[in-house]
Amino acid sequence: MAGGSDVAEAASQSCVQCGKPAHLQCPKCMELKLPREGAAFCTQDCFKASWSSHKSVHLKAKLSTLGAGALGEQNSDLVNEGWLYCLKKGQARTPKLPHFDWTGTLRPYPISSRRAVPANIDQPDWAVDGIPKIELNSDLQHVVEIKSPDQIERMRETCRIAREVLDAAARVIRPGITTDEIDKVVHDATIAAGGYPSPLNYHFFPKSCCTSVNEVICHGIPDARKLEDGDIVNIDVTVYYKGVHGDLNETYFVGNVDEESQRLVQCTYESLEKAISVVKPGMRFREVGEVINRHASMSGLSVVKSYCGHGIGKLFHCAPDILHYGRNKAVGVMKAGQTFTIEPMINAGVWRDRMWPDGWTAVTADGKRSAQFEHTLLVTETGVEVLTARLPSSPSVFPWLNNAS
Amino acid sequence: MEDEEEEAPLAVEVDEPIELSSQNQLSSSPPKDGDVSVGVTVITGYLGAGKSTLVNHILNSQHGKRIAVILNEFGEEIGVERAMINEGDGGALVEEWVELANGCVCCTVKHSLVQALEQLVQMKERLDHILLETTGLANPAPLASVLWLDDQLESAVKLDSIITVVDAKNLRFQLNEHRSSSSFAEAYLQIAFADVIILNKVDLVSPEGSGGVLEELEEEIHSINALANIIRTVHCQVDLSKILDCQAYDATHITRLEALLEESHTLSTQNLHDSGVRTLCISELRQVDLDKVRLWLEEILWDKKYGMDVYRCKGVLSVQNSNQLHTLQAVKEIYEIVPARDWKKEEKPMNKIVFIGHNLNENILLDALRACAAC
Repeated sequence: MAGGSDVAEAASQSCVQCGKPAHLQCPKCMELKLPREGAAFCTQDCFKASWSSHKSVHLKAKLSTLGAGALGEQNSDLVNEGWLYCLKKGQARTPKLPHFDWTGTLRPYPISSRRAVPANIDQPDWAVDGIPKIELNSDLQHVVEIKSPDQIERMRETCRIAREVLDAAARVIRPGITTDEIDKVVHDATIAAGGYPSPLNYHFFPKSCCTSVNEVICHGIPDARKLEDGDIVNIDVTVYYKGVHGDLNETYFVGNVDEESQRLVQCTYESLEKAISVVKPGMRFREVGEVINRHASMSGLSVVKSYCGHGIGKLFHCAPDILHYGRNKAVGVMKAGQTFTIEPMINAGVWRDRMWPDGWTAVTADGKRSAQFEHTLLVTETGVEVLTARLPSSPSVFPWLNNAS
Repeated sequence: MEDEEEEAPLAVEVDEPIELSSQNQLSSSPPKDGDVSVGVTVITGYLGAGKSTLVNHILNSQHGKRIAVILNEFGEEIGVERAMINEGDGGALVEEWVELANGCVCCTVKHSLVQALEQLVQMKERLDHILLETTGLANPAPLASVLWLDDQLESAVKLDSIITVVDAKNLRFQLNEHRSSSSFAEAYLQIAFADVIILNKVDLVSPEGSGGVLEELEEEIHSINALANIIRTVHCQVDLSKILDCQAYDATHITRLEALLEESHTLSTQNLHDSGVRTLCISELRQVDLDKVRLWLEEILWDKKYGMDVYRCKGVLSVQNSNQLHTLQAVKEIYEIVPARDWKKEEKPMNKIVFIGHNLNENILLDALRACAAC
């Protein structure tokens, strides 16, 4: 099927009833904008034959919009309390759900007001006015820094704190908790460790971490939506401590998750693992994309191309760009002392992404799910050190890790 | 609560759209929505050479194309950019202020300029070409690297060519300007990186066709960049077919590279100027080991081995264990080698590489290429 991004995609659908090539669609599903696979049929006869079981798809969709109706009421309560929808990358708010041709069933919810950071905590320049001026003008956008032993030691420390903060967030994941509550855990844990949550006010991002649910690829904004049984959610944490940043993310299961999602998440985890295994001095940066693309394609999944890994250190984002797709023209080879992230985003459906009206949330163009994993890495003389690696204390949330860390 | 119907309604026929892979993009077929990306031409040149004249000529010609012009002070923050859209045949010029949104750099692959251009393409119903007139830019290389996107990104825009407008009357002066200083006159870089050079104001140089002057100028330009196509103009009146849809950065569009294969005389040029910017062509008949070629190119382009500074590089490769002609293209450190097509029966498979740069050493390059020959 989707064997890599350079193969013709979106070939004909298969009939839901018998599996033959299908060119007919259920009109009700089209009206409700439901996914094509569940609505494809080869003949009217197959459609009729499957009708009694197929129509439950419509019912389910209606229930969730009704639920949204009830939630619409809840949301308007929140709006009255000052929770608003995010717009313009965080520079504006609105009391009404923005208009958009949503690609899946997820919707934005209102967000809470900005969380405070104690004055004694060392803050990056964007904490004040939203613009990372130093980063934008830095030479480190063009040259890859070789870290000094002192910088490396500080990065180890900061990355460990970031790992502990992420683990704290992972522990509270359950159906019914809102992504806003998760953000509060991240925010409080970061502050308690003496760090600043890097995402907060970075280019006006309104929260302290990114929470990306289901079809959200990355940069989801924590809001009033409760996680539901069956969701997958990525939490992306970056901590600024002792003048350096540590960045990592993981995708978690909420309650009981379907097999397809489990496979998606596990494959994404593995593609990061494989990419990390080739990191060593002399390896071309370009190669990371080849490794990830190969593994994702083998599983029939696609690789997001609009976002990439990045150099990190005293700057949140700097050179090099780490592309996750194959056949890229990335310049340069890895050298000992470099620190950067690898953070593949893998999709169940097409690779293309769209942007929500808030200016941050990236979603899959077809509304299918997306998963991501990220580590901050240090290139050593002989290979790589995973600075944000799991600790013995990290919660056992990945079935394929067999409860080992 | 609605009752779900007992009977299935009539299923609806749908046509499945098929996303073409980037390799299927045919430049000659008429543009269909979503199929072909919009070409971007970078127009550079000294103040007064005639950039604006060229732009106006392109916009005012009766050509039925919808062309947008972006005036860009590259290097400054991109906020509100002025975009002029030509309404097409006989139509009035519509000058629109277009806000091209400031994209966030954080871990996004495409530069904010590219995102802005893509937004422009999306906003307009039909856009056939984009001209990017650079006002303050000496060196077009950073712009080229931003616009020369990976095919994998299937972007709505793609770099079509870099056009440098040169003032025939003042060129010699501009080239000699920095004879004593260590940095080059901007003119060298603008010529070195050009795919097309508009040699403008030729009427001011040889009013009575007093022979030789223009030929000399062209020789000087070619000594720097032997690959560029030079077009003589008065008031930048040029045939659009010569400057639009050049596909200079399309790995599979190799008409001009094919000419390279047929060149009987060498393209290598002598050092006519103290600048040391010149063109060098090397060739090798034996098939090459692609891995070795990559390592060698990376030594030169990335490590600046032997102190050579390569600005542009173009070539064809005859690769071991392949019956495909491979194309090579480089702009500063960015390079790509791509299989383009099968070698034709009448062709003699060979390697031919052209370097444009500074401090080039022909012997070293030739020895290194020979060392890449498959054993």
